[in-house]
Amino acid sequence: MTVFSAIGSSSRPKIAYVIEPRFSGGTSAAVAAELQVAVELGEIEVHAVTSRTFGDSQHIAPVLRCTLDELRIPLIWDAPRISADIVILHNPAFLKFQDALCTKIFARELIVVTHENFLRPGGEDGFDVLSCLNHIEGSALALRKTLAPISPYNRKTVTDWLIRSRVARHWNVLDTDWFNICETDIDAPREKPEDRRGRHSRPGFEKFPVLSDLDSCFSKHAQSNVILGADALLDARVLRPHWTLLPFDAVSVDEFFGMIDFFVYFTAPTWQESFGRVIAEALAAGKVVLTNSDIGETFDNAVLTCRPEDVDGIVSDLVAHPDRYHEQISRSQPVLTRYSAKNFKAMLSGVLSADSGVLA
Amino acid sequence: MILVEAGSRSLRSFDAQLIFAEQLAARGFTACIGAEYLPEEAGRGRVYEAAKFLVDPEEYEAEIVFVLGAEDINDLLLSSLRQKQLEPDVPVIATGRFETQQSYIGAKARLAYALGREATVIDLTDFQPRSVLPSAASPLVAEIQPTPRPVQQVSNVTVVLGSMELDNPETLSCFSRMSNQGGYNLRLVVSGAQNEAIKSSSYRDLPTILYTDLSSLTLAKTTDILVLFGHGIAGVRVAAYAVALIAAGGVAIDCTDDEALVSSGAPVLLGPKTPFSLDGYLAGKILGNTSQIAEQARKSQWLHSVDISRLEAAAGLAAKIREPVRTEQRTLFFPTNGVGLGHAQRCAVVANALPDDMSPIFAAFPSCIPLIRREGIDCIPLVSRIDTTDSPDGNDILTYRRLSAALQENDRLVFDGGHVFDSVYRVILERKLSAVWVRRGLWPDGRSRETMLRREGVFDQVIVPSEAFEELNDVYSFGDHVHYVGPIFRQVTQSAEERNGLRARLAERFGRDFKQLVVSMLGGGVASDRSAQIQAISGMLEGRTDCLHLVVVWPGSKVQPATFGWTNTRVVQTFEATSLCLAADLVISAAGYNSVLEILYHKIPSILIPQSAPYLDNQERRAKAMADRDLCAIITEKDFMKLERAVSDCLDHDEVEIYRSELNRIELPETGASRAAEIIAGVTLGK
Repeated sequence: MTVFSAIGSSSRPKIAYVIEPRFSGGTSAAVAAELQVAVELGEIEVHAVTSRTFGDSQHIAPVLRCTLDELRIPLIWDAPRISADIVILHNPAFLKFQDALCTKIFARELIVVTHENFLRPGGEDGFDVLSCLNHIEGSALALRKTLAPISPYNRKTVTDWLIRSRVARHWNVLDTDWFNICETDIDAPREKPEDRRGRHSRPGFEKFPVLSDLDSCFSKHAQSNVILGADALLDARVLRPHWTLLPFDAVSVDEFFGMIDFFVYFTAPTWQESFGRVIAEALAAGKVVLTNSDIGETFDNAVLTCRPEDVDGIVSDLVAHPDRYHEQISRSQPVLTRYSAKNFKAMLSGVLSADSGVLA
Repeated sequence: MILVEAGSRSLRSFDAQLIFAEQLAARGFTACIGAEYLPEEAGRGRVYEAAKFLVDPEEYEAEIVFVLGAEDINDLLLSSLRQKQLEPDVPVIATGRFETQQSYIGAKARLAYALGREATVIDLTDFQPRSVLPSAASPLVAEIQPTPRPVQQVSNVTVVLGSMELDNPETLSCFSRMSNQGGYNLRLVVSGAQNEAIKSSSYRDLPTILYTDLSSLTLAKTTDILVLFGHGIAGVRVAAYAVALIAAGGVAIDCTDDEALVSSGAPVLLGPKTPFSLDGYLAGKILGNTSQIAEQARKSQWLHSVDISRLEAAAGLAAKIREPVRTEQRTLFFPTNGVGLGHAQRCAVVANALPDDMSPIFAAFPSCIPLIRREGIDCIPLVSRIDTTDSPDGNDILTYRRLSAALQENDRLVFDGGHVFDSVYRVILERKLSAVWVRRGLWPDGRSRETMLRREGVFDQVIVPSEAFEELNDVYSFGDHVHYVGPIFRQVTQSAEERNGLRARLAERFGRDFKQLVVSMLGGGVASDRSAQIQAISGMLEGRTDCLHLVVVWPGSKVQPATFGWTNTRVVQTFEATSLCLAADLVISAAGYNSVLEILYHKIPSILIPQSAPYLDNQERRAKAMADRDLCAIITEKDFMKLERAVSDCLDHDEVEIYRSELNRIELPETGASRAAEIIAGVTLGK
């Protein structure tokens, strides 16, 4: 039996996920949520690939471990060969330190979900995209190879990168966004908001704006400023009397949201969130989100886009006018339904159906 | 100001920062390194080297930031860059050797995250496809000399031992033979362990320096032929040294096991793998052909890969030609401060004997400054040593900084002292100074000749002011550069009228008539405490109602409060001790060089009490030579109880007349200040 005759012999399509399960952030959370949907649409296999990005340990991201256990899907480590109707490789950036992808992939369609932006603001490469795609191409035999951006901003970096690449033009780009599923409980906003600001993120330098902007975002005019994930600031003794700096795991995310009314989130201007799960979480928690316009593109008018120096004015206005605060929350929370599991299932069904011919 | 940062903090990366900062400085830029980079285990040499570059955050405003070793960036650097909040127009340029495109992209991204804007990241593997030392964080670039290097009469050959084992006793014997031949000057660059092995062997006088004793640039400046042994290149300092030497037109010979330098494509010669063949190789193939070898090397394309101007262009820097501040040669005297102010006194005497068209200046410790300034000579103040365990070299580092600031290339330095400080050694080599060492003899027993003379080679001339008596003139080193001149001391004339006038003024000043004037001059220096002796003498003279006893010390000297309790004793702080001695009936003095010569040449009756301390010369031999000739009485430590009798012999009997008679009779050598001044004035650069 040939490889391609083996593929498609089942009544349901065989979908193989190729992941680096040790990603601790958004990628693993997104894959975990996605698996819950995908099992309804096909026979699922999950393959783990060990990469130099995370060393030799086989520690799996907890959120992913829970989902795999719940779905009773075994995790197959470093299989020499993967055959499936559809192979979905999440976050090709995990190959950036590799010399090759040692696993051979055979599929009707190979979908590479681009969790990390291909380009940084300003146009510099986000990682060695060409090398990563070359590794995948060198190991994959597929009738169709598709890049699947996860947000409008992420899509722009992918298409811009492809335009200037001479050797990767044969990659297709999926028309619809392979968005992160964001299904959490929706909380109501506080009745009377106060000038309690905060942000949370991993502690990396890319997640924080320059100090002058951070000072603008969390000014001494605020009643409180809570920065969760402030490990680097603490290490460097960048302290302000009006800041409460907490290491990344110091409190739970729920506790953190209980401490704030405004989620003020700016990153280094040389880096951009590709999706921004943290924004979705803040919206779900009933907080007004102030951020930059590129993040705003993913969440439309669910967030207030501004510059750091505008934060004081916007916050004081909303504190003075709670009705406007509540209006903003009312506008923003429905946007989250766009990123529901139901919508994702519809998107995935579309991908698996006519265009690919897999279900035909 | 160009701030030189490093991707990570380590001894290796600090070396890279030092090397690059010095290269920038040599190209006319003002470079600095944040003081937070100084490693705790930096060691003495690096601290000296770093002193001119280290700055605290509030002391500088970065106009350009260079980040070295960008292939390995840690969070400390990123935090530091973020906190600096650099203005948008301050360029940040990073260099690194990136093994993969991802490592280049990653470094660029991390810097961009910390800065909030993009840095210019230069991949050195593009510049130098075959680096001399691929693991070096330093860019390993150098200024390419456009003209051939002048050929020295005697070539300076430096051998870097690298990882060479010294367990074969023949190895050091071989270097010793090479060191003692006349065809070239040999210098060994060694590790701490190798140095220990050499210093504990029979070949302890081999000329060695440690890897960190001098900067790579200074080593290259003072080397004509570089020979590398061992396996591989022995670290970034040696790599930078080799690159700087080749770029400057020197000859490099690769004797490493693995031909490490040759394999980088550098225009170097492949030499013998063993030191036993090196002398023959140098004599037969290299010496005499250095110009032709260098000329061939100058044609190498490899030089292009290490040309610092390419890196400057890529970074958008324009080299500045640094013009000398002065056009005339400056002569600077640096007297050490020993027991007293003798070094400064002697230097002042020599300085006053210099031709009128020379206007020397001094750099001196605070105790000497009034003495020098009253001679009408300008003086740069230095800072005295403080005995602390945490920074024993602190004051000498300051001296180094001040000497470096005061002197420019080809100036003249006259150092008077026994121990050649690091400051002196370094500034002579770094500034290519004409250098003169005024070095007195009569070293105490037990002082290591090798240690004392270890740095003699950096001086163009050595002036040895002689003792008055031939048996005291020990010879410590030989050569055309060593000049023995007559005794140098301060000479004063005093007529009988002036003498009587001075005695009358003393009587008036101290409110008492006296018939006999006794001057005690036991010194007030740092080496030993004389208070017990002063008290004993004061006690002896207390009963003599017709005697005035003056305890004469330099201004600023410490005097025990008890000295002020005697009726017949007065303390006088003065620079005019000689005048008081000339007015005295008896002088009780230590037997230091200046005191004895002043007593001898001014024919003053005296009792000499030789002092002994680790820093002092052999006073007992000097005093004994005087006493043997009946020129004075001597009281040694062992027979101090005889002092009272000696004083009585002098004051109550005719012992003084015997001394005076012999002093008048004895023939003394011609004094040496004029000859010393002639030598100093005639010194031209010989290095």
